[in-house]
Amino acid sequence: MAIEPELIYIVVYVTIGGVLGSLAAHLCPVGGAPAAMGTATGIATGTIQILLGAVVTGLFTAATVSTFTNNIVLVMISGAVGATIMMQVTMFFANILYGFGCGITPTSGRVAVDPITKADQTSYKTPQTDGHGIPDVVFISGTLGGFSGGAGGALMYYTLLHYAHFTYGTAVIAALGIFVASAIIASYNIRGTIEGFQDPKFKRVHLALIPTVVISILCSLVVVIATIALRGA
Amino acid sequence: MAAEEKKAEEKKPEEKKVEEEVVEAKPKITDHFKFPPDETGLAIIAGVICVLATIFTALPAVIKGLGLILATLWGADCVRKTSKYGLGTGVPSIGVMAIGYGVIGAILGLAFARYGNVGQIFPGVLLGVVLMGLIGLVSGYFSNSVKWIAMKIPRLERAMMELGMAGTFANLLMYSIVTGSLRFDAVVTWVMDTGVIAFMFILGVLAMAHPYNACLGPDERRERTLLVPVEITGLICIILGFSMLVLGTSPFHAVWDGMSLIVFGLIVWVVFYTRYIKTCMKECYATVGTGLIKTID
Repeated sequence: MAIEPELIYIVVYVTIGGVLGSLAAHLCPVGGAPAAMGTATGIATGTIQILLGAVVTGLFTAATVSTFTNNIVLVMISGAVGATIMMQVTMFFANILYGFGCGITPTSGRVAVDPITKADQTSYKTPQTDGHGIPDVVFISGTLGGFSGGAGGALMYYTLLHYAHFTYGTAVIAALGIFVASAIIASYNIRGTIEGFQDPKFKRVHLALIPTVVISILCSLVVVIATIALRGA
Repeated sequence: MAAEEKKAEEKKPEEKKVEEEVVEAKPKITDHFKFPPDETGLAIIAGVICVLATIFTALPAVIKGLGLILATLWGADCVRKTSKYGLGTGVPSIGVMAIGYGVIGAILGLAFARYGNVGQIFPGVLLGVVLMGLIGLVSGYFSNSVKWIAMKIPRLERAMMELGMAGTFANLLMYSIVTGSLRFDAVVTWVMDTGVIAFMFILGVLAMAHPYNACLGPDERRERTLLVPVEITGLICIILGFSMLVLGTSPFHAVWDGMSLIVFGLIVWVVFYTRYIKTCMKECYATVGTGLIKTID
């Protein structure tokens, strides 16, 4: 049996989606439990909750757009925009709560000077804490993370919809499953909290690359086997 | 003085008895309520029963519900044994992973369901379980290996393998309950495209990740933690029963199948929820009521 290009597209695109998801896990500002008390920078929840929320929103927009277009770039960007909006709204309201509720200024705990706006960070940081709120650089990093994650999820969705010939619902849920499987490996790499690309922990990103690629390839092979089995009858 | 004390002592147990009779209808067996002595035993029992409940899709929904309880118990136990070493990203992450793997494995299993099936018996779906175990093993190796992510959690490989398998079983059993068969087209029509899958995804994650997330702490006890997944599976059974009734997809084309699942879920939920609350009350140092909710001693 000759290998059709569609099956190779599934493997390639799902792997790219997994790598984008892994990158998103490293870019999103995750604060965890310390952020809930205002003693760490980032959104006050775990990596996978943030990513799941972002990618579900992205898949929602991508699925809507894919009902009237077959353009892969358009579907991907629509998913990315949906996820980005979700991340930005979350970060914005987290800042409102931190600023007007807790009365703390958004400050990065990992860098002395904001690498983008050059604003001073150290003098606003409460001693003994790890920064608080979502400062400018973290907001930009989170935006990039949402964009990357949404694009990855939407790419997987498009692949499963058009190359594996799943229905809309099946493609969404399978894309979610594969995205989660590859993003969680990346989230274990950052161990709890991360601020974004300026964080020293971001330098560990290469360690998560090979595991994510392998897991994505294995998951895409599962989809390929399922596609062949479904086509058989 | 002494007589008074004696009287009070005599009176006290009586009062307690009356209160207990009022509050709990079930006998108090929490003390010697033990799951199979160890994690391996639970895994083997749950695995065997889940295989049987998954393959024979013509079984009544209640029996599949029992299999579902064992699958989520198995998953919650695996979450417990990995998370007690500290994952760093929170307990829910590994529960989401189990159901994420489960969805992929279930789709593969469903694709193979048509091979080698005899009537309503689908041994082909087990291929999805096996492959997900393999992928779980690989991801466990990468997470634990010092070269890559280096989580250094003992036996993480095995736990991730079991999580993949338990997640796949849980997903397959939920599909099987709602559709009454494991044919790909039927599952796509009745589960995926109707959106019931969203409930299944989130409630499956809840059943696996929530127990340890809620109970973790220095005084965590395995038997007490494992009461929670059973209780949550009762809730899942109620929702699945309602969706069976609404979709009308019982293999027996009868209402009693869905109704019995709802009743079963309700009984499981009430029994295990009250038992869990009582166990917590008994094992804690003190319960201080706020006055809003009546405390049970």
